[in-house]
Amino acid sequence: MSDTTLDATTAPAAPRRPSALRMLLRDFGGTVSLVLVILIVVLAILAPWLAPHDPFATDLMAVMEPPSSRYWFGTDGQGRDIFSRMLFGLRVTLGMGLLSLVVGGVIGAVVGFCAAYYRRIDGLLMRLMDMLLSFPAILFGLALAAIFGPGLTAVIIALSIATIPLMARIVRSSALVVMGLDYIEAARAIGMNDFRLIFRHLAPNCLSSVFVFSTLRLGQVILLGSALSFLGLGAQPPTAELGAMAAQGRNFLFIAPHISVIPSLGIFVIVLAFNLLGDALRDALDPRLRI
Amino acid sequence: MKSFWQRATLGGLAAMGLALVAGQAQAQPRNQITIMREIDADRYDPARSTALAAGEVITMLSDTLVSMDYDMRTIRPGLAERWDVSEDGLSYTFHLRQGVTFCDGTPFTAEAMAFSLNRWIGRTTPRVTSPVAWRAGDVKEIRASGPHTLVYELNRPHSELLPNLAQFFASALDPAAVERLGDNFGVQGFNGTGPFCWESWTPRNQLVLTRHPNYRWGPPVMQNQGPAHVERIVWRVIPEAASRVAALQSNQADLTQYIPDAFIESLRRVPTITINTQPNYLWDTYLGFKVDRPVANDIAIRRAFHMAVDRPAMVRAVWSGNARPARGIINPTALDYYEAGDQGVPAFDQAAARRMLDEAGWRMGSDGVRVKDGQRATLTLFAINNLVNQRLGEIIQQAVRQVGIELRVQLFDATVAWGRLASQDFDVLFLSYPYISANDALNLYWHSRSRPTPNRMNWNDPQTDAWLEEGRSATDPAVRARAMADLQRQLNESSAWMNIAHNNLNLFSTRRVEGARAHGLYGIAIYKGLDLRVR
Repeated sequence: MSDTTLDATTAPAAPRRPSALRMLLRDFGGTVSLVLVILIVVLAILAPWLAPHDPFATDLMAVMEPPSSRYWFGTDGQGRDIFSRMLFGLRVTLGMGLLSLVVGGVIGAVVGFCAAYYRRIDGLLMRLMDMLLSFPAILFGLALAAIFGPGLTAVIIALSIATIPLMARIVRSSALVVMGLDYIEAARAIGMNDFRLIFRHLAPNCLSSVFVFSTLRLGQVILLGSALSFLGLGAQPPTAELGAMAAQGRNFLFIAPHISVIPSLGIFVIVLAFNLLGDALRDALDPRLRI
Repeated sequence: MKSFWQRATLGGLAAMGLALVAGQAQAQPRNQITIMREIDADRYDPARSTALAAGEVITMLSDTLVSMDYDMRTIRPGLAERWDVSEDGLSYTFHLRQGVTFCDGTPFTAEAMAFSLNRWIGRTTPRVTSPVAWRAGDVKEIRASGPHTLVYELNRPHSELLPNLAQFFASALDPAAVERLGDNFGVQGFNGTGPFCWESWTPRNQLVLTRHPNYRWGPPVMQNQGPAHVERIVWRVIPEAASRVAALQSNQADLTQYIPDAFIESLRRVPTITINTQPNYLWDTYLGFKVDRPVANDIAIRRAFHMAVDRPAMVRAVWSGNARPARGIINPTALDYYEAGDQGVPAFDQAAARRMLDEAGWRMGSDGVRVKDGQRATLTLFAINNLVNQRLGEIIQQAVRQVGIELRVQLFDATVAWGRLASQDFDVLFLSYPYISANDALNLYWHSRSRPTPNRMNWNDPQTDAWLEEGRSATDPAVRARAMADLQRQLNESSAWMNIAHNNLNLFSTRRVEGARAHGLYGIAIYKGLDLRVR
């Protein structure tokens, strides 16, 4: 009797796992990257209010000017303010990345769940994904640009397709782990239908890996999208896009390096921020993955 | 700040130059000059090539009946010492120099010259077709009437026959070599009368020429009539602009005309590099309208372009000050330029443009684009994708937007651009072109017969055609000048073209070389190369 009383009162309470956000903020890299990502997103959203100049207005008296108090990041070959163009370029770059991630991610996740749940089609689906994986995204971009003509649509489709197999593999592997757990068996036993089972029990338990992958992938997708725009396949003039801006400046690299270097640094910071955030999120959401 | 960038630039270029030196590690032979260019030609046959890249080499490999002076209008003797023109302008008799030989020692005769010209206009077998055979005029017959006398007969007078015969297309070729090499003439070899002879060609890499030792018949426009001072000339292809700049700075090459405008300012400060500019260069960049397309057929829209774009500022920005802003359709230094005709070209005034469009019935729409009778003021522009056109396109797009016109810019790679520019799928285009006179320029573009190309404007006017015919066949220069003046007034007032810039021709040379003077006929900077000398 006394034993049981003792047990009930003195047993230490199971340690509450701190929230993911708290875990994230404990990590210095995580904090910095989170702040950077928020800043980037805010800058992109508020671009029309923050931009000191019209991003398309050409000042022919101030062509290729280096950074100054009037033009913070200097002007490009047409006398346009690089800072304002970068703010608007962020919207295009981020939008392109997010849209392709969502489209590719959703299709990939559906494929992944189906492969994990319906074991009969697993082999077929995964071989299809292997085929997709074997094409580099740049090659997709080139092919699509040849079909549709260069433009953001071609880039978004190419990046989405390139994301599908990666997401499918991630989702399939985490779903397979969850599939072996008892509550899935229990849900099956009570006669829950497949659709409901996948969305109620399977999907929510795979979310953390999907989330981590998406954050990491966003950085890669932005880099790829910028690369395609740099090659002239993506955003068409006069649209401001960081990769396209870097490409336009490369002709003047020797005489006005800022035109190319500043947008390139912009891409660098964005990709770095998303990659660091992805790493920190992975540590926070799934401590087992920490090495 | 600026000096930092410049220092960084020079440092970078010097490093690249060192890399090139290390890579090649080979000093130039004593009496050799290396000339750099951006692209190679597909072949070096004057009857089959119209490329500048072919022309610049062919002028060294052979000669023409007459030559062009540096003022780009005076015709001087060449292979012909003198010539007579009949009263009616239908018959030219050329008296050829004696003692002229081809590179292999074969004597040059009127027979060979007649063969070369007939081959150019497609009257020899096997027949070759030159895209520019029309430059020879409406030929009745070209024949040798003696060993050193050539008779050139026309069905209709051709007032600019002589300037056209100074072009590299009309070069003298050895008939035996043409027959021997067949299709490979100008690919595997060449035999001309020029100051330099063909040694070897590695396509897209280099073409080597050696001095023609017996050459004594250089045109009087050169200080040295021959033989050339330089023993060997190497034409080297270096596609990357920055590499050409670096090679020039590190003395890996001696001469080039292919330096992007943006680099010129920094090269001016390099003491080892000399820049020679040809003030009489005729190469214009223009914007043309398809005058029969909806929207573009409205003169108010075309005039609004002129009034919306600040051309002097745009030209300064795009060409970094290395071109002159154009006003009228013809360069003021060209023969038969008509100054009063430029009055018809509207000046830059955006407020006036808006008023004019309002009065013409183009009402401003809610999205900032004007509308008239349900038709939006939207135009599509086609052009070749290059740095100048990219920048021009964006600047003009932005400028006409200010007055309520939407311009959609579509740039195409050079390989497909010519096909796209021959289509009827666009309203506006950019192109640039060389010419030798008002007559040459206007006859090239504006005759109704020249539709759809090169008359991409679809300009079709009987009065224009009549004036063009009159100018083309005039035997009296005053008659021709009057016809050209009428044409310039008419075309400038129609605003069918917005001439943008008169390009400059610059020739860049290192301290190692002297005698480099930019010529510019057909865009060729180094004419003959007779005056070039290694210091």
